[in-house]
Amino acid sequence: MNGELSNGRRSLKRWLLEGLVTLAIIGFCLGPLYWIFATSFKPMGTEYVIPPEFWPSKPTLQAYAVILGIQAPGAERASQEGALKGTTEIKASPHLNFLVPVRNSLIVSTSVSAGALLLASLAAYAISRLRFRWKIQSLMVLWVAGLLPAVIVIAPTFVLMRSLNLLRTLLAMILPNIAYNIPLTTWLLAVYFAQLPWELEDAAKMDGYRPLQIYRKVILPLSTPGLFSAGIFAFLGSWGEFMLASAVTMGVAEVQTVPVAILNLSFEYRYQWTWISAAICLSVGLMVLIALVFQRWVIQGLTAGSVKY
Amino acid sequence: MAVLFIIPALLFVTLFMYYPILQTFIYSLFSLHRTADWLHAQFVGLQNYIAVMKSEAFRGAFGFTLYYTVMTVFFELAIGLGMAIATFSVHPRLRGILRAVLVVPWAIPPIVSAMLWRWLFHADAGIFGYLLTATGLVSKPPAFLTDPTLAVHSIIVASVWKNASMMGILLLAGLASIPQDIYDAAKVDGARTWFRFRRVTLPLLLPTILVTVLFRSLWALRMFEESYGLTGGGPGTTTDTLSTFAYKYFFTYARFGVGSAYAMVIFAMVVMVAIVYVNRVKGNLRFKE
Repeated sequence: MNGELSNGRRSLKRWLLEGLVTLAIIGFCLGPLYWIFATSFKPMGTEYVIPPEFWPSKPTLQAYAVILGIQAPGAERASQEGALKGTTEIKASPHLNFLVPVRNSLIVSTSVSAGALLLASLAAYAISRLRFRWKIQSLMVLWVAGLLPAVIVIAPTFVLMRSLNLLRTLLAMILPNIAYNIPLTTWLLAVYFAQLPWELEDAAKMDGYRPLQIYRKVILPLSTPGLFSAGIFAFLGSWGEFMLASAVTMGVAEVQTVPVAILNLSFEYRYQWTWISAAICLSVGLMVLIALVFQRWVIQGLTAGSVKY
Repeated sequence: MAVLFIIPALLFVTLFMYYPILQTFIYSLFSLHRTADWLHAQFVGLQNYIAVMKSEAFRGAFGFTLYYTVMTVFFELAIGLGMAIATFSVHPRLRGILRAVLVVPWAIPPIVSAMLWRWLFHADAGIFGYLLTATGLVSKPPAFLTDPTLAVHSIIVASVWKNASMMGILLLAGLASIPQDIYDAAKVDGARTWFRFRRVTLPLLLPTILVTVLFRSLWALRMFEESYGLTGGGPGTTTDTLSTFAYKYFFTYARFGVGSAYAMVIFAMVVMVAIVYVNRVKGNLRFKE
């Protein structure tokens, strides 16, 4: 274990071994992503050429141009579609616009993060800072919900959204996802609030502040890092949510989020892998960037949210 | 007064998580075809459950779900532990790089990971098929996603990639919390690396391993996206899980009664693991007063 040699210097052999192990892990974690990345720059059709090119000899942004709607998906595709649709409407193939699902996902994830943070921070404040009966029980009720499988709640949620006339809207994803993210965010925030110093709060109490004022003027301003890291989890969690999003969007492109749109893109265009790869790179790039930049908080939150509690 | 702070969160969680469990249970007792209006539907008691349990499809999905859970959790633990130990042992500069790299597969949404692997396992142009033929191991690329046995294991491979690094992160935290002086004492005693690992590290890491395994099992039992995105349950229904069946009964066949029976079976399995898990970690759910 713990490989530091006693004299503080490392042998060349040790460096080599550590370098190889590091490369192997990097290869394992990033290799599959590299392959999608390389595919996204291949000219359409060349992704099927055997032997495959490990980096395209003629890299192109064609796939990105197509999925962003800058370039039409191609004439042969248009004639296919015309033939399928019969005589009623023979139009040129519509431009794809992957920015629509990206926009939808951004709206959904931002609203979910904001909503979950608001509700969870209120609950977490009470749990970590106030006295009341049934405290541990209410924490348990909030926390255990986070372990429930989505499939047990999906059908009634769908029916509820239908009766509220919210199907095919972003709200149908935002409201339930706020609830899905409350358990983890409440827990993370409660732990964070609990370790804030009591002195400021005591002083605020002396000045006659009420709990809601203390929450707003003392606790929240002191908790930016905690709120931020809990928010990242809500953001990433709702960004990747698929089961509910696929059910309530009901195939309407205008309201689809990124995961649903990627799956649809692949069904609709018969697995044009350069396009799907480009879509994956666009949508995953942002998430990977967030996770890397806030790596320390992500790791802390992951650990606190599953093993430590 | 304090209760007012908690009520909004409780309300949301009850409306979108606890009430739907009850509703799903009610659906499972009725015959529902193309409707969710159970008040005007025929009450069938446990008929849906009996029909489900008797079906070949259910037994297949149940078996696959269990096999998938055992296999993925085992390999994720093995690889995750290896990566955690490696990350813990290398020079701090490399450790920083590795820790960042481990976060990446976790940050990718499950359905996107499934699509990604679908391309890697492509029958004609997939990189794995190519590598296997190029090295002369097989004469033509294997049908990773259409051969029943291969499809099952392709899904397992994809899941292990997606989750092993997350396991690694959790185990790394466990390793870091083992006090340094225990190692120092073992070193003074002249304990060899392997011996130190078996007799010192592993026993101290065991509680973390147990909680991590329980936690991952909770998620593996409900697996949905990997099958749905990678094979769509095929070939036939070989890689359908209980969750993909429930989802298909809900939204493809519009049979809420049968789908709910499937969902309740998953729920029961998850609850069983969750009870053990909650009992292990709830001791830490403590706040002042």
